[in-house]
Amino acid sequence: MNQITKLGYVDNKLGAPSDGQQTTRILFNTIEAPGTTSQLSFFKNFQGLTNGQTNLTNNKLDSMESMVIKTIMLTQFETNGTLQNFGGLVQQTVSIIVGNQTVVKNLPIHFNYGSTGQSYDRLHTNGGVTCDVITTPSATLQVHMPCEIRLLTDIVIPPQVSFEVRVESTNVNYGTGAVVCALSGYGKIFSAGNTF
Amino acid sequence: MMTAQDKILYVANKLGLTSLKNMQASTGAVYDVDTERNGQIFSSATRHVNPRITNINNNQFEVNEALLIETVGFYGVTSAPSGFSTYNLQQVYGSNFVIVYDLIIGNKRVQKDTPVFGSGSPYCFATNGMFTNVPDVDNTLQFAPRHQVYSEAVGILIPPQVEFYVEYRIFDVVTGAQIPVTSDDIGCYLYGTKVLLNFNTSI
Repeated sequence: MNQITKLGYVDNKLGAPSDGQQTTRILFNTIEAPGTTSQLSFFKNFQGLTNGQTNLTNNKLDSMESMVIKTIMLTQFETNGTLQNFGGLVQQTVSIIVGNQTVVKNLPIHFNYGSTGQSYDRLHTNGGVTCDVITTPSATLQVHMPCEIRLLTDIVIPPQVSFEVRVESTNVNYGTGAVVCALSGYGKIFSAGNTF
Repeated sequence: MMTAQDKILYVANKLGLTSLKNMQASTGAVYDVDTERNGQIFSSATRHVNPRITNINNNQFEVNEALLIETVGFYGVTSAPSGFSTYNLQQVYGSNFVIVYDLIIGNKRVQKDTPVFGSGSPYCFATNGMFTNVPDVDNTLQFAPRHQVYSEAVGILIPPQVEFYVEYRIFDVVTGAQIPVTSDDIGCYLYGTKVLLNFNTSI
């Protein structure tokens, strides 16, 4: 079953079929100055965030909108914009909660970045590389890659159902800059007419 | 599984474009640069030099030509007089920039509030994004992240003779502040399966 079929199947099961515009959807949310914590909750707080820090106003998709999550991306920045390894190199897990149901549970994220070289798939082999630099890394000299995981199962966010991404760890310092979570996949947005 | 050709024919049929199925299928890309710095790409293509700034004469395709967009990419272009050469946007805006764009076809937004992250966008990893930042010195590598959005599952069709453009803004994802485009310009390309006009009759 591909992404299109899965999205249509779930929307129909929920009684929310849609002939909306088919598109690629990327949702993102930022937590400013996360500091040291054992849990990050993305897509929970939207207060004070600009359009450059999130593209939602609450943790639900509009009616007639839905999407399939295929990829999770997590990034950590210093205040000056330099990309860091997400939460250092320590072991962390991610969970995705849609409605009152956990649809991804405690999935380890640290294998797809840092220096273990044990990424889940070949596409992210480079995530295990830290470039050998003589000069100091900076915002314009990126020596890491973000943490990214491609899901094997199509996870659907239906219309008007709240969702959350939760990263759990043990007292990890995420710095004073910002951490960002992005969810990418096939989606539908509201359309009054034919789909292109 | 719907292929690119399936999607083109499906949309063409819906729009009543009965002859599109007889045209030549191909691979193509269109590009343009926001030299006016008004936050729109492709809408001013008619005023731009081809191919130095753009490869289209107008932001719509001819009769029986179309493009199924499968990848959207962003890049930097140095301004005149230094020479219109292309570069990775991270070199100017850093890893912490995010471009948030809409893709509009006709009067319809077909991609909305889509972010492209300076540190590399989701599903855009590749080892060939690494490069030497100091020429002739070993082991001085950095990443050149991909600033692209790959279409998931199916592409989006730009039908013949319908205007299209990209509307974008660029932000600092750490502070949330909008970044003005002051020095060089931002370009965008749309890549995918192309339909080319093919005369089946003698002209």
